[in-house]
Amino acid sequence: MADARPIDGRPFGKRARSWTHDNLFSSRFNSGLTVVTVAILGAGLFAATRFIVSSADWEVIEVNRRLITLGRLPAEDGWRMWPPLYFAAATAGWAFGMWGKLSRRDLVWLVAAMAFMFLVLVEGANALRFAGVPALFAGAYVATAYGLRDSRYDFIGRQVGIAAAVVVIPLAVITIGQFGGPPTRLWGGIMLNIMIASIAIVFSIPLGILLALGRAGSLKTVKYACIGFIEFVRAGPLIVWLFIGRFVAPDFLPESLSDIDLVLRAMLVFTLFTAAYIAEIVRGGLQSVPPGQVEAAKAVGLGSVATTVYIVLPQALRAVIPALVSQLISLWKDTTLVTVIGVFDGLRAAEATLTQPGFTDNASEVFLFMALAFWVGSFSMSRLSMRLERNIGIGER
Amino acid sequence: MVGKSQNVGLNLDYMQQSAGFSLSHQWLTDFDPTSTRTNAYLIGILNTLRLIVVGIVLATLLGTIMGVARLSSNWLVSTIATVYIEVIRNTPLLIQLFFWYFAVFLKLPEILDGPSAFDTFFLSNRGFVLPSFTTGGLAWLFGLLLVAGAVAGLYVRHRQQKIEDATGIPSHQNLYGLATFLGIGLVAFVATGLPLGSDFADIVVSDTGVARYEGGLVVTPEFTAVMVALVLYTGSFIAEIVRGSIQALPKGQTEAAMAIGLSQYQRMTLVILPQALRTIIPPLTNQYLNLTKNSSLAVTVAYADLVFVGTLINNKAGQPVPMFLVILATYMAMNYTISVFMNYMNSRVQLVGR
Repeated sequence: MADARPIDGRPFGKRARSWTHDNLFSSRFNSGLTVVTVAILGAGLFAATRFIVSSADWEVIEVNRRLITLGRLPAEDGWRMWPPLYFAAATAGWAFGMWGKLSRRDLVWLVAAMAFMFLVLVEGANALRFAGVPALFAGAYVATAYGLRDSRYDFIGRQVGIAAAVVVIPLAVITIGQFGGPPTRLWGGIMLNIMIASIAIVFSIPLGILLALGRAGSLKTVKYACIGFIEFVRAGPLIVWLFIGRFVAPDFLPESLSDIDLVLRAMLVFTLFTAAYIAEIVRGGLQSVPPGQVEAAKAVGLGSVATTVYIVLPQALRAVIPALVSQLISLWKDTTLVTVIGVFDGLRAAEATLTQPGFTDNASEVFLFMALAFWVGSFSMSRLSMRLERNIGIGER
Repeated sequence: MVGKSQNVGLNLDYMQQSAGFSLSHQWLTDFDPTSTRTNAYLIGILNTLRLIVVGIVLATLLGTIMGVARLSSNWLVSTIATVYIEVIRNTPLLIQLFFWYFAVFLKLPEILDGPSAFDTFFLSNRGFVLPSFTTGGLAWLFGLLLVAGAVAGLYVRHRQQKIEDATGIPSHQNLYGLATFLGIGLVAFVATGLPLGSDFADIVVSDTGVARYEGGLVVTPEFTAVMVALVLYTGSFIAEIVRGSIQALPKGQTEAAMAIGLSQYQRMTLVILPQALRTIIPPLTNQYLNLTKNSSLAVTVAYADLVFVGTLINNKAGQPVPMFLVILATYMAMNYTISVFMNYMNSRVQLVGR
């Protein structure tokens, strides 16, 4: 880590020269490599800068902010996005305050992500509403990090944090969809990608764990049913499963369910698909728990359910957190595939902007922007997972 | 909404009917709307295989280079590799594909304005054109003999290698193997009556002023876009696998290689990578399977891969159940082939040096 380096007292010029020598010109081969890379990089950077500064026209994004983020959601339902966003921000601040510690690097990243969201989401009257997001995050963080944490109420604070994290997604679904909210077929934009990923996460993790337990269990019928499901689902590409959800599912669902709309069917496909992959990851975790743990649990008189829930699963899941998070990152990236079955997600909306008069030549801007929007989500998740690994000390046993 | 289809049975007779749609022409295949649906599907499989085979080779090369580059002592090189990996790995493949297709390859100049070289290589928004060859007469026999020649060449190389291993005298195994292959190829070419002719591309302008390429090998923008996206994306994951495996090797290996005076390049290719291969292959197999499944994204830019052709047939025939079962079975077969091959490679690598 950068902090561990001994302090170099030499003057800046000397330090710079020795850094350049060590890192760029340490051998004849390295010097050649540096020269060639600088030439290529220079040309690339020049072209990129020229594109971003002069030839790119970001008006297509500015005009279509709402279409890209919310799709065709009715205007009067726009307010429904804010309560879940506020709640998520407060929960995140709370969790960071209770368990983590914001380093300067985290802070820079957070500010950058907030600035990005501000630029994307905010127009006119929304600016004030958006200010609530960083405010709630900061408020919850300060309250927990400098108040609750390590105080008399530390335990309660942690329980509240866990409870809040558990209800974030259900609460979002209820606020957006219930109480006269728009039907799922009107959900759209990046919001829909987030909702599909969230719902698939909520349902696929327990389902995946059950499948893994079934596969590892001793009941032959259940075992082979689980293996069959897992291997069958994993054999096909996600696109094919989405097409099956689109074209084949109506033949098998009962008449009353056969026209449930595409968005719900897509959510079902994502849930089942991810569950099969999670089951394989969890299976790896189950195998990593030493058999002595189960024997010890039996020796102290725990039943088989209690052994699984209190002894095996916690150790198994802890061991596979990195793999689990990378599966969730792929889920987040894969939500863009709903485009192919005609669901109006963020990417579909982005494509649609290219048919608007005047914007037909803006494909570069639109897709670069979409790439950035999804990248922010995946990259944050991967960094968060690395933090989590360090905090709970995976790989340090 | 799609209504209930008439027949949910597993009857595949409808595959023998004529297709009723056309596919954009691909290299070395012939297809018109009167061909059977089975024919169309086979072309779909062939097109998917083109993506997979070329994609796996290129992604492995790129991933290895980037994985090694990330560990380079040159700050600039390792930073570029890190940025490449972190940017590409964390961005959805579909968005990357759309970017390459809609924002890059379709934005190339029109046929008549595109750059060309020697009047045989062309580049435009309709594709990248290379010289090709025509087949005729006993071309199939020539192809078979070429395969036989390759096998013979490998055998000769193997035998020379054995001699070298036993005696320590350099036996030029590569030279002998190549000579055997080329010799057999040349004899076969003459013996089968020169079955191949050259086929150079030309730009033809019709009376209505529409320009198109005639002849040659036209690499379509769809193929190129899918290939570039797949290779860059899979390469970033392979790079991380390569980096992790190299870092897992004991440092003493590098130090020992330095001590006996190997150059940086020799250290990597003779000492580090062969050992890293042991831990690289199992996760690499997973990436190959992912690439195979991800190649189905080709359907979004209308490249005629097996999913694209399958959905076309489904639209015409309206029997989704058997069609999608066939598609799933095809992917299962391809995944299984890759797994078996990679497991074989894995067992080979594990034996070396133990």
